Amino acid sequence: MNTAKNARYLRRRFWNVFNLGMAMATTLFGLFWLVWILWTTLSYGATALNMELFTGDTPAPGSIGGLRNAFVGSLLMIGVAVMIGTPVGILAGTYLAEFAQGSRLAAVIRFFNDILLSAPSIVIGLFIYAVVVVPMGSFSGLAGALSLAILLLPVVLRTTDEMLGMVPGTMREAALALGAPHWKMIVQVSYRAARSGILTGVLLAVARISGETAPLLFTALSNQFFSTNLDKPIANVPVVIFQFAMSPYPEWQHLAWAGALIAAMAVLVLSLVSRFLIKDRSPR
Amino acid sequence: MDKEPHISQRFDEELHEVHALVLAMGGVVEEQITNAIKALQESDAELAREVIGRDHEVNGYEVRIEEECINILATRQPAASDLRLVMTLIKTIADLERMGDKASKIADMALAMGHGARNDNPAFLRDVGVMADYALNMLRRAMDALARADAEEAIAVAKGDEVLNQEYRSALRRLITYMMEDPRTITPAIDALFIAKAIERIGDHARNICEYVIYLAKGKSVRHLPLDEVEQSIQGK
Amino acid sequence: MSEPQKTKISVRHLDFFYGSNKALIDINLEIPENQVTAFIGPSGCGKSTLLRVFNRMYSLYPGQRATGEVLLDGEDILAPGMDVNMLRAKIGMVFQKPTPFPMSIYDNIAFGIKLYEKLRKVEMDERVEQALRHAALWEEVKDKLKTSGLGLSGGQQQRLCIARAVAVKPEVILLDEPTSALDPIATLKIEELVSELRNQFTILIVTHNMQQAARVSDYTAFMYMGEMVEFDSTHQLFTNPGKKQTEDYITGRYG
Repeated sequence: MNTAKNARYLRRRFWNVFNLGMAMATTLFGLFWLVWILWTTLSYGATALNMELFTGDTPAPGSIGGLRNAFVGSLLMIGVAVMIGTPVGILAGTYLAEFAQGSRLAAVIRFFNDILLSAPSIVIGLFIYAVVVVPMGSFSGLAGALSLAILLLPVVLRTTDEMLGMVPGTMREAALALGAPHWKMIVQVSYRAARSGILTGVLLAVARISGETAPLLFTALSNQFFSTNLDKPIANVPVVIFQFAMSPYPEWQHLAWAGALIAAMAVLVLSLVSRFLIKDRSPR
Repeated sequence: MDKEPHISQRFDEELHEVHALVLAMGGVVEEQITNAIKALQESDAELAREVIGRDHEVNGYEVRIEEECINILATRQPAASDLRLVMTLIKTIADLERMGDKASKIADMALAMGHGARNDNPAFLRDVGVMADYALNMLRRAMDALARADAEEAIAVAKGDEVLNQEYRSALRRLITYMMEDPRTITPAIDALFIAKAIERIGDHARNICEYVIYLAKGKSVRHLPLDEVEQSIQGK
Repeated sequence: MSEPQKTKISVRHLDFFYGSNKALIDINLEIPENQVTAFIGPSGCGKSTLLRVFNRMYSLYPGQRATGEVLLDGEDILAPGMDVNMLRAKIGMVFQKPTPFPMSIYDNIAFGIKLYEKLRKVEMDERVEQALRHAALWEEVKDKLKTSGLGLSGGQQQRLCIARAVAVKPEVILLDEPTSALDPIATLKIEELVSELRNQFTILIVTHNMQQAARVSDYTAFMYMGEMVEFDSTHQLFTNPGKKQTEDYITGRYG
């Protein structure tokens, strides 16, 4: 009896070790590529880092320059996208979580939002190209910002919906039981409870759109010169990286690496900040 | 008691156990009284000593039952009929213990009277025998009523206490008459009087138990109320 | 306790539905003023549902409806024209799980007061202190009023919720299993608090803990399967209940 038990025990132990080993191996496999990518970006990008990067504009082939116009353009477009997408996303998410709980309409909206969430960004770019760029007759920063806003919207909507959904129903009831009107309950209690979660969602959405290239190719295009005019084509980091990396000129390639490194770092910082916010929220 | 079982079987067992212990204690007390009276009537010193020696057994029952009841109160927090049962048992054993004391006191008297050879006049003890039979009957029926939580029976028994009290009063009158007729009878008559008083007290304790039983069965405290009123209110319910 | 009490809430022929499911069946009840009334019964017997009728909590949820009359000082709170927010100012509620709002201890209390009154800072400070004292929490939190209410222990959080309810100066306080998430010591503190508040408020408490009902309440209602089986003084109900169902429940027998 004891030996039979022992055999079963050993078998279990074997499978345990085996599965653990497999899990670790696959994790290492995945991490290997990630580290490789980061390392490449870092090693190529770091050599190209200098102050000129932030002060000079994109140069002509063979001359020295920076990415100032691209950074500014990207920031402008992202800023506008956030200004448009965030309020719409938060309000729509609030509607879903606070007012339309369990309704058919809410289910339909969530379904379409999920489709939007997983739509290839190039499709969004084409859409804006068709409805904004073509009628306006030119590529523009505004069109770029709009396409980024559409990419950001479903992420913010989704996180708002989910974060508000995590606010315990009893907390809402407690506020209402004091006689608080519905809107006051949402603004003072639900939003406060979900605040860091929603903020995290916005930051992650910004991280996502800041690396998008495809939609900007059809909308903002790019601009070799410094410009803050949203009516006109505007330089932006992803498209510049795309163009410069594909070019035969070593100076351009170096700038592309530097831009890639800065973009990656920006995403990293945003992720860290959002991590921190989530952690800050957890002890409740 | 035709009650449905508790969800906790252990609780049922505890209640049954303590209930059975009280009934057993009642049996021992009944035996003690019977033997004490017998020792007295037959001047049986050995039996009297046996009764005195067994009093600690009665006390032991009381201590053990009290412990069990406290345990039930502490761990089960009984409510409603369970609470009333536990309270009834706790109070009942106090009365039973007193009855046991009376039995051993009667046995003491039997010893004393036997040594002094003073009970040469058995007439003194005639009343005592009648009263003792009556009191024992009350005790037996009270314990039956307790076993069945039978309020009607309990009322009937409690009402019978008045008969015993009257018996005591007439015994008292007779004994006074003896004493007035012949001062030499004063000592044995007073002994007999004490014994009669002890038996009368046993009847009172039986009556108390009956009152607890009425509380147990009906949830009403009937102590210090006229029995007719009690009977009416119970029947009205 | 035998003298007639003034009735605070009277319930007449109350039925309650979750959709087509009838959860309360013809409830009739007179709840005395400034007394503690406990509601006991097995899970799903409708005691919490009944409690949520008193402040119209159910009307947040479509598909839940009540028919019959519930009179608060003679006014039917189920009537269509009833201002639910004003009703909730009069009838406060504390829930099973402590529900402090994600704000400071001070703001938790001030939240409710601000809904009805515009107070100067000094007055507000006073009201907050008064409410916290009422809930026997002042001494424990007076030095950290500006810290989050979420940082308190479970028992303190629940007392904060009671303070928050009391601060609005309601007439009736509904307690929905207020101690089921607390340890025995915290539970005793809440019970002590209930006894201290009993003279100023009409308190209704739903509890799974029968001993708690026996300890804190003056009157107890036993409910079963959506019906009011028995309503009596707590002493009577726990020593000599009138109905066999009640007896079986409070003595722990198969019902």
